[in-house]
Amino acid sequence: MFKYIGKRILLFIPTLFIITLLGFVIAINAPGDPVEKLVSSATQTGDLASNNSAQKEQKLFWRKKLGLDLPVFYMAVSSLSRPDTLYKVYEKEENQALERLITEYGNWSEISAYYLSCHRLYDSLASFKPDTTMLKEFAGLDEQLNQLRFESLALSAAYEGEVIASKFKKMNDVLAKYPFFKSIEKQLKQTETHFAGIKANSSVWKNYIPAIDFYGVKNQYHRWLFGDGEFSKGIFRFDFGISYQTKMPISEVIKTKIGWSLLFTCLSVFLAYLISIPIGVRAAQKRGGLFDRASSLVLFMLYSLPGFFVAFLLMLLLANPNMFSVLPASGVKPAEGYPEGASFFECVKISLPYVILPLICYTYSSFAFLARIMRGAMVDVIEQDYIRTARAKGLTEKKVTWKHAFRNSLFPIITVFASIFPMAIGGSVILETIFTIPGMGLEVFNAITFQNYPMIIAITTLTGFLTLVGILISDILYAVVDPRISYS
Amino acid sequence: MLKFLRFKHKTLSITKEDESFSFRKYSWKQFKKNKAAFWSLILLLVWVFIALLAPVIANEKPLYCIYKGNKLYPAFSSKEIYELTDAAGKKSETISLNNFDWKRVEYEKVIWAYCAYSPGKSDAMNTIVAPGGEQVFKKANEELIVMPTKFKHRMGTTKDGGDVLAGLVHGVKYSLFIGILSMLLASFVGIVLGAMAGYFGDSGMKTRRGVFWLSCLGIFFAWYYAFYTRSFVLKDVMEEGGGNMVFQLLLSLLILSVVFFVFVFIGKKMSSLSFLKKEVNVPVDSIVSRTIEIINSLPMFLVILSIAAISRPSFTTLVLIIGFSSWTGIARFTRAEFLKVSKLDYIQAARSLGLTNRKIIFRHALPNAIGPALVAIAFGIAGAILTESSLSFIGVGVPPEIVTWGKILSEAKQSASSWWLVLFPGIAIFLTVTMYNLIGEGLRDALDPKLKK
Repeated sequence: MFKYIGKRILLFIPTLFIITLLGFVIAINAPGDPVEKLVSSATQTGDLASNNSAQKEQKLFWRKKLGLDLPVFYMAVSSLSRPDTLYKVYEKEENQALERLITEYGNWSEISAYYLSCHRLYDSLASFKPDTTMLKEFAGLDEQLNQLRFESLALSAAYEGEVIASKFKKMNDVLAKYPFFKSIEKQLKQTETHFAGIKANSSVWKNYIPAIDFYGVKNQYHRWLFGDGEFSKGIFRFDFGISYQTKMPISEVIKTKIGWSLLFTCLSVFLAYLISIPIGVRAAQKRGGLFDRASSLVLFMLYSLPGFFVAFLLMLLLANPNMFSVLPASGVKPAEGYPEGASFFECVKISLPYVILPLICYTYSSFAFLARIMRGAMVDVIEQDYIRTARAKGLTEKKVTWKHAFRNSLFPIITVFASIFPMAIGGSVILETIFTIPGMGLEVFNAITFQNYPMIIAITTLTGFLTLVGILISDILYAVVDPRISYS
Repeated sequence: MLKFLRFKHKTLSITKEDESFSFRKYSWKQFKKNKAAFWSLILLLVWVFIALLAPVIANEKPLYCIYKGNKLYPAFSSKEIYELTDAAGKKSETISLNNFDWKRVEYEKVIWAYCAYSPGKSDAMNTIVAPGGEQVFKKANEELIVMPTKFKHRMGTTKDGGDVLAGLVHGVKYSLFIGILSMLLASFVGIVLGAMAGYFGDSGMKTRRGVFWLSCLGIFFAWYYAFYTRSFVLKDVMEEGGGNMVFQLLLSLLILSVVFFVFVFIGKKMSSLSFLKKEVNVPVDSIVSRTIEIINSLPMFLVILSIAAISRPSFTTLVLIIGFSSWTGIARFTRAEFLKVSKLDYIQAARSLGLTNRKIIFRHALPNAIGPALVAIAFGIAGAILTESSLSFIGVGVPPEIVTWGKILSEAKQSASSWWLVLFPGIAIFLTVTMYNLIGEGLRDALDPKLKK
């Protein structure tokens, strides 16, 4: 038995690897730059040059802290035309622009020269400080200078030939108006020649020869899994990174939120089994009878009803001032919180009306599903020969049902257990948003609306892990229920 | 002699009777006997009908009108503007089809759609109005009157004044579209993989060493040329959507298959070398089964939710994610059926006749093994529709300008007592899901030989 469990846990590894990989792929493909999101406090307006240096510093800090300065994976497929250091261009837009230029022209040496000269151009524009006489002589110089800086910055994120040409022209026009931009004009000329060089010496064929770059363990995925010993401990030590919303560690957020989800899931699973097993057994016992047909119909309808529809119907009926306003519509406790010094039981008593509606919604779908499965399994078992033998032996119907048939019809019920178990952490996203239950589901919903990707990935990965545990537990339960199955 | 003839005659008649028995006909008869399933099929046809006729049932433009002496068919026109002519045949006025205020002009003759609104358009005068509630209509001279019957919001409006009935009618096509297309994709993947796993097992697929290694290389290179080198082309058309996207995707698929087969061809040629000649086993069943296990242990709804959240909302993406995440059930059923079928005598006979594996799988085994997969597909469509409506209820994955059932329902979040926002779309989703579930159950019973009397 233990050997079997050990073997199963070993088999976890590839699955877990894929789950983490999936979470990771989703995370790095999320739109937008996380660093931009974290450093959004600095204003974008005003003088580009001055607020940029402070912002740059901050961005670098966060980039290092989040490990975004590392290559993505242990290795990467690329082509002969791509350098293996492209990940070092941090700005997502510039990186994309470079990738596109490479895809179009395929000559990295020229492209990198052009890219560097773009940056030199921007730097010389940023460091250009007009003195007072210049400002007096030329009205609006400041604005023009800012315009130039903006254009040069946009140049390094542009990739379409026409766009780049139009930017060159615009900058040339502005520069020609002033006599003191000679050095910058020269710089611009150089950039233009570099760009012309890209076009002249294109080697597109290099794109069609695949290459594989190896980066070793210093990469984002490895760091995400195992940590870097400095800022992060890795998901294997329950460090999921920080939430973009609150800048708090995600594991802290999960700790505070998981309680309600766990409570609802456990209670509803318990209730669902409690109701569905007797119904399924009863229906199977008198197969084709009135109870069987009626319960089958009702269960089928319940099974096909979408959860959010039921939730809204119940709210319209029972938590609606125009109908019966007997239950509160949302939340898990009064808005003002529990009275001070309330004991646990008083808290339960206060929360009870809030819990009823969500609990019904949590329970009904799994209950309908379970009862249908229970009936099916029981019907199969009751037709077996050994049940007839048991009856022929003169055992009471009760004993036949519960001792002989029931135990053997438990398989599907156990299988389902594995899939209900992980819902504790994923919560029911939809039900929790409808009833505003402060649990994991609502957290997922908020994470999606605020584009808080690490949170979504953390919950997905964790739920995947719990599903694996659930499957293992159900496999062990099989052996407990059925002595014929042994894993040794 | 006579006796023998009679005997022969009798046997002949029996075989004739046997030939006229077809499992397909028998199953269809069984299916028709199941009243609920049969009526669900009828409902499906009605749904298709509504989806096709949606622009005629609910449209803000008149179906037909005579306006200032011009005969117009605004609802059916694909033009942007109309140039009207006066009695003398001269140009008198140009109207833009989409910005013209159709309801507030005088016509000589006009035929309106049953519901005179289009989805996604708002009627600012009537926001959150109940079906039986007071609705007002602003005439061309700014006078407010009680809504004329032909312009009534028959199922109420949302908080932006969108017509619920129009949204429901046009929503039929989205729900059919998502359900059927995603399951088409899933059944293609599921049936092919499941069939291969069940038919070949772990030891049935043998290939030359050269072919094996070059196929592996071929997969890499095919992916490289079809998707990696074209990644930006594909990215751009994915954002653009439409026909160009389909064309580019198909082009990628074409490159994929061409490159792969070139490699297989080279592999075959190279296998004449003695050391590449050795046969190797491809454990198809293990590969497919492990993949299914891994996919089944993923928290699918969360995965779909997070992929839909990071990608640009579009129906194509939704179809792709739902399709690629729900093929496992179909594959499992197909695999189990193929395990049974491939042991049967007629398949052995086909093999000994020297038919190719592809021909045996698709021509001979698949028709007898498709039943359980059909059942899984019917249930899968129901599940896909539920997933889609849940996603649009949360507001993820569905383009903002498109009105779906789940979106109408989600509007009830803000106005808790507006029952019409809950009831009508809810019933529509419920009916559709039940319909597919009942069809699935009917198929299961009809195709199950155990229940045959």
